[in-house]
Amino acid sequence: MTESKLSIVDLTKKYAAGLAPAVDRLNMEVEEGHLVALLGPSGCGKTTTLRMVAGLMDPTAGSIMVDGREITQEPVNKRGMGMVFQSYALFPHMNVEQNVAFGLQMRQVPKAEQKARVAEALDMVQLGHLGKRATKALSGGQQQRIALARALVVEPTLLLLDEPLSNLDAKLRDTMRTEIRSIQQRTRATTLFVTHDQDEALDMADRIAVMNGGLIEQFGSPIDVYERPRTHFVANFIGQANFLTITVGEDVGPASAAGERNYKIEVPGLGHFGAVGASGLTGRSLPVLIRPHRLRASLQPSASVQELKGTVEQVSYTGDTLSIAVRVGDEVLQSQLHTTSGSLPHTGDTAFLSWDPEHAYILPEHAKAVAA
Amino acid sequence: MTTITTENPVPGTREGLESGVLEAAANKRRKRTYLALLIPGILGLLVSFVFPLLYMVRMSFNEGAPDGVVIDTFTFQTYIKPLTDPYYWRVTLDTFRMGLTVGVLCLVVSYPIALFLVRSTSKYKGLLLAIAIAPLLTSAVVRTYGWMVILGTNGLVNTSLESMGLIGSPLKLTNNMTGVTIGLVEIFMPYAILAMISGFGRLSPQLEEAAGSLGASKFKVFMRVTLPLSLPGVFTAFLLVFVMAISTFITPRLLGGGSVQVLATEIYDQTTGLLNWPFAAALSVILLVLFGTIIAIYQRIVQKIGG
Ligand SMILES: Nc1ncnc2c1ncn2[C@@H]1O[C@H](COP(=O)(O)OP(=O)(O)OP(=O)(O)O)[C@@H](O)[C@H]1O
Ligand SMILES: [Mg+2]
Repeated sequence: MTESKLSIVDLTKKYAAGLAPAVDRLNMEVEEGHLVALLGPSGCGKTTTLRMVAGLMDPTAGSIMVDGREITQEPVNKRGMGMVFQSYALFPHMNVEQNVAFGLQMRQVPKAEQKARVAEALDMVQLGHLGKRATKALSGGQQQRIALARALVVEPTLLLLDEPLSNLDAKLRDTMRTEIRSIQQRTRATTLFVTHDQDEALDMADRIAVMNGGLIEQFGSPIDVYERPRTHFVANFIGQANFLTITVGEDVGPASAAGERNYKIEVPGLGHFGAVGASGLTGRSLPVLIRPHRLRASLQPSASVQELKGTVEQVSYTGDTLSIAVRVGDEVLQSQLHTTSGSLPHTGDTAFLSWDPEHAYILPEHAKAVAA
Repeated sequence: MTTITTENPVPGTREGLESGVLEAAANKRRKRTYLALLIPGILGLLVSFVFPLLYMVRMSFNEGAPDGVVIDTFTFQTYIKPLTDPYYWRVTLDTFRMGLTVGVLCLVVSYPIALFLVRSTSKYKGLLLAIAIAPLLTSAVVRTYGWMVILGTNGLVNTSLESMGLIGSPLKLTNNMTGVTIGLVEIFMPYAILAMISGFGRLSPQLEEAAGSLGASKFKVFMRVTLPLSLPGVFTAFLLVFVMAISTFITPRLLGGGSVQVLATEIYDQTTGLLNWPFAAALSVILLVLFGTIIAIYQRIVQKIGG
């Protein structure tokens, strides 16, 4: 299978003169064989971006390059990409085999080869036995797989998927997630995958592009965007997040991650704690991020560790974990406990919150939401 | 030992039998309700359609005497003439040909409009649709007269073409089949457009995009996706226009100026001119049977194609 590199430079789309751009000078480099998730809230421009890459929509400005070759002006049928639509878009007047063979017919592949490749593609999605079925006699998951086979059989330069799992029920979504990922890894097709489900993105992607308002807020590996979010928005969108506005104090030496430093921080009026962040932050007032499952809560104060004292406002039990909301001064912090841990807190209890310094990450910049 | 409780009664058990009986009774009740609801419709159909039809069939076996006298009898006399006289063969063939031509031409001119209307994302889509079917608000008679004015020897078409020097003498566009065809095509266009739009349900821009992304050129997309998916609408529209064309009377009479003979005009002449009702009835029965058969065959073919 072909492995291609995709570069997007200053890609912009304005739907109408008066409107704000749906995609605003977007830049992205996708490496060969990578699966990149375009992740973001509804209306942030994911579909618009994907459609421009596919050639289904003309950009207002900017360029798209595949393997260094500019394709911005190329019509959709010359781009050689494979697209899977949210509603699958299987041709209702053709059976499964005919659907999968369509792209090969357009490329005038000889009949015998068509047959072999269709069979191979159908086997890949484990539906070899359904070749003669009408597409309307297929379940959602089966249609999804056929759509995938149809897109992959032509050995596309890029595989483009627009929320391919959103029409499936939760269980099937998990299965298909694994399946798409394993097929993608086997074929090494460079893939753009639109989703607004953060779990899907974290689970499947090599890189995640977190989009917001037509822009990429952060582009990085799943671990990067989860552990080292660049903005408040990214931290909040990927997983749950607690923020405390703090004053960064003394730099106390290098942290375990390259280029990062350990800092003393002051939570105004509540005490001094430890956190990590980029170098040179001392003296600034910035938000610090602590994920709920890394915020320890106990009912007894500890003698050795500095803690935040608060009152449990809300308790929600989900079986494996217990989520509690603790009011500390003006802030409400979320903490997640495993239900295995001793006595569980109740509403109204006094709780003591603490964290390991490496689990508190100082965001490098103030986000609009924090400043507001 | 564990007891197994089933939500669905097991057939053969007492419980199962009872619920089976209950269900059958409920079904029966439901069926009766449906039948009761159908009665008004059935009565209406009987009075306005079935009885007149039966009356007409019976009439066709009577004998028509001069001066409109109907002799009550049972004879096949009325059928012998239309089935043996070449004149009626020609009229029947002309009727068929007219239906076919009008149907095909109407499709050709209506298809792009219907496709445009279905695919348009314009905010004026509703207005455009209204404009496309607005001609239905005027009667076919008025529109036929309109066409007579436009197509006549001194009409718009001929005077324009003459003044542009494209033709030396006026084209003969009225009082012949050409005029009738032009008029009928226009008159039936709104019906064709509506029928097509209602049959274009399977078309979707996404399917066309999918085909495009798989390498199909615009032309290929149309041939392989748009056209096949729009066939149900096309078939329905053709059938509708064909049926209306072979049974229409006003336009062939007015635009044909007496020189276009189709079954409908012939029946009219027999009924109101020669007052030979049995003969007119026989022609009507022939029209009904012949074209009923043609339509049945057509439907079969359409179903085979998988429209
Ligand atoms: N045809 C259009 N005309 C005008 N504005 C549009 C059009 N299509 C999309 N938009 C706007 O562009 C923005 C981005 O839309 P887009 O469909 O790319 O969002 P998305 O990220 O895919 O959202 P979702 O997760 O809901 O699918 C939205 O604000 C939307 O309202
Ligand atoms: Mg979208």
